[in-house]
Amino acid sequence: MENEKITVADASPEVKAPEATEPHDKNVKLMSPTQMVLRRFFRSKLSIVGLVMILGLFLFCWLGPVFYTQWGPAEQDSGGKVEYTKTLITYVDDEGVEHSFYQVVETKKTLNALAPMDGSHPLGTDKNGYDVLARIMEGGKISLTISFLSVFIITLFGVVFGGLAGYFGGVVDTVIMRICDILMCLPGFPILLIVGTIIEAIGIDLQYRIYYLMAFLTLISWSGTARLVRGQILSLREQEYMVAAEAMGYSTGRKIFKHLIPNVMPQLIVSMTLSLGSMILYEASLSYLGLGAPEKYAAWGTMINSANDLNILQNFFNVWGPPGICIILAVLGFNFVGDGLRDALDPKSRR
Amino acid sequence: MLKYILKRLALCLLILLGVSLIIYCLIRCMPVSFIDDKIAQMNQGGATIPQETIDSMKALYGLEDNSFLGILKGYGSWLLSMLRFDFGTSFKYGAPVIDVIKDHMGVSFAVALIATFFEFMIAIPLGITAATHQYSVRDYVVTVIVMIGISLPSFFFGQMLKDIFAMKLGWFPPSGLIDASSDLTGIARIFDYFRHMFIPILTVVILSIGGRMRMTRTNMLEVLNSDYIRTARAKGLSEKTVIYKHAFRNTLIPLVTSLAGLLPSLFSGAIITEQVFDLPGIGNKAFQAMISADIPFIMGYNMFLALLSVIGVLLADLMYAWVDPRVKLQ
Repeated sequence: MENEKITVADASPEVKAPEATEPHDKNVKLMSPTQMVLRRFFRSKLSIVGLVMILGLFLFCWLGPVFYTQWGPAEQDSGGKVEYTKTLITYVDDEGVEHSFYQVVETKKTLNALAPMDGSHPLGTDKNGYDVLARIMEGGKISLTISFLSVFIITLFGVVFGGLAGYFGGVVDTVIMRICDILMCLPGFPILLIVGTIIEAIGIDLQYRIYYLMAFLTLISWSGTARLVRGQILSLREQEYMVAAEAMGYSTGRKIFKHLIPNVMPQLIVSMTLSLGSMILYEASLSYLGLGAPEKYAAWGTMINSANDLNILQNFFNVWGPPGICIILAVLGFNFVGDGLRDALDPKSRR
Repeated sequence: MLKYILKRLALCLLILLGVSLIIYCLIRCMPVSFIDDKIAQMNQGGATIPQETIDSMKALYGLEDNSFLGILKGYGSWLLSMLRFDFGTSFKYGAPVIDVIKDHMGVSFAVALIATFFEFMIAIPLGITAATHQYSVRDYVVTVIVMIGISLPSFFFGQMLKDIFAMKLGWFPPSGLIDASSDLTGIARIFDYFRHMFIPILTVVILSIGGRMRMTRTNMLEVLNSDYIRTARAKGLSEKTVIYKHAFRNTLIPLVTSLAGLLPSLFSGAIITEQVFDLPGIGNKAFQAMISADIPFIMGYNMFLALLSVIGVLLADLMYAWVDPRVKLQ
């Protein structure tokens, strides 16, 4: 008796019903919901472009150093170019004849800083003699890892708190939502600047500052996700299938994580993808304002920071341009994919 | 209605209390010796901060007493002085915090206001064409361009515009709000201000068009799919009337509502853009103050921002009910 009920409860005609596994008509093609989503996703050219950009950047950052071994990311080029300075020296000797000669001074520069783009440095070197290409790869690893980690943690917090608030309602809901209200009114960027100053004050190694900052950012920015999850769960809670789940006597955990959360997933995935891009931007902006890691461990934002120097801004696009382009590609890729996913996952959008 | 507003106001106070507690706790995480160091640095740099100002500040925030009770007392005394609108004197700028905010808000406000105006003027038509021509070439082109705008890091794009328009072409001054040698007066002076503000405004507009355009497009699409639009078309109304008379008005609802939500960004100043172009706006001043541990200014500025965003949220909700008669506040 009970078993029968289950099949009725979660059978959707295309997926589970046994007679549907083989179509009656050869022209009818059966597709699972996942297949349908994938098909809709890949039909949009923009999402494919986005996907390619993201995959390309990942390959570039992680596989790039395998092939590009001339320079390590933390290796300063101290081979040094030799610089000659020529000065004209004139002197009058005892007989009144004027002699003039050039004094050539050979100086070996210890750092091959701001080298032009050539064979040994495809993108030149920055003002500390680091190879720009190697640094971009390393910086990309840092930026991408940080953004993925922080989005993951934000989602985790958001799902747990939003789920609790939506499912239990009442006092739990009120408390969590008030906390969300407070977090939403917290001025994000200024607060991060203060935290940056505090980290400097406490004396934490500056190499890890950006990680602490991003950790703090995740702590104060889960409120949006929590609200999204809560709103979804509030509306799902009232639907018949939840009444059925209730009638079956399922445990609370099972109801939340097996029946409610999967239904929130589409929106959640979209918001996660879109916030990946904004996390990269956040990280880059913090680094730009000088709150990132020191040059040696720098991510993309710090590399653009060097354009504050007018000389570099005007004459050395190869130092600050490429990391900026990488940031744009990453954010754009995530935005394209997120947009494509939103259209693909929305059951109302039929084309 | 009145009951609702009162309830919301009470909630606002609660939120502000929460925000102030968090900011206060953060400030307390700074070691006192670090603050002393920073003050000493500022004094060396030519500033003169009288000892009694420092002492009174320390007393006000209860910085010396690190016991739990001391922290509570410090928070209480700070809260009391804030309720009297006494934010203290900024170390870095040597003037009352409120005066510093007031003096530098004008530039930020002008940039933000003009930028917001152009943002709406450009984004709304773009969003409407993208929606009415959904999935066409036009939709794709607009979407791609606008997405690139969203994805640009403000500092990178600002830097690039500065490089092109100010350095290479020399059409606009690269930074600041006023040339050191300038002795313009009257209209010419104001014109010169705008010349300095042009690239920053351009940066802000291009970066923010994207979000607004996406919003317009989504709303417009939603409205265009609704029943009353089908009815309007079935009646045989021209496409122009359907879109601009019937659909557009409902598209405007969320846009108008979002205007109230823009309140904080109008006054708070854009930290990064002002940093790139060295504009003497409030964002720039706040950045300088924050990295030099200027506690009175940090506290005052952040509470100011929190107050703005609380009011912004409240106004947006009220506006929503005002614009859309179907929404009932309770």
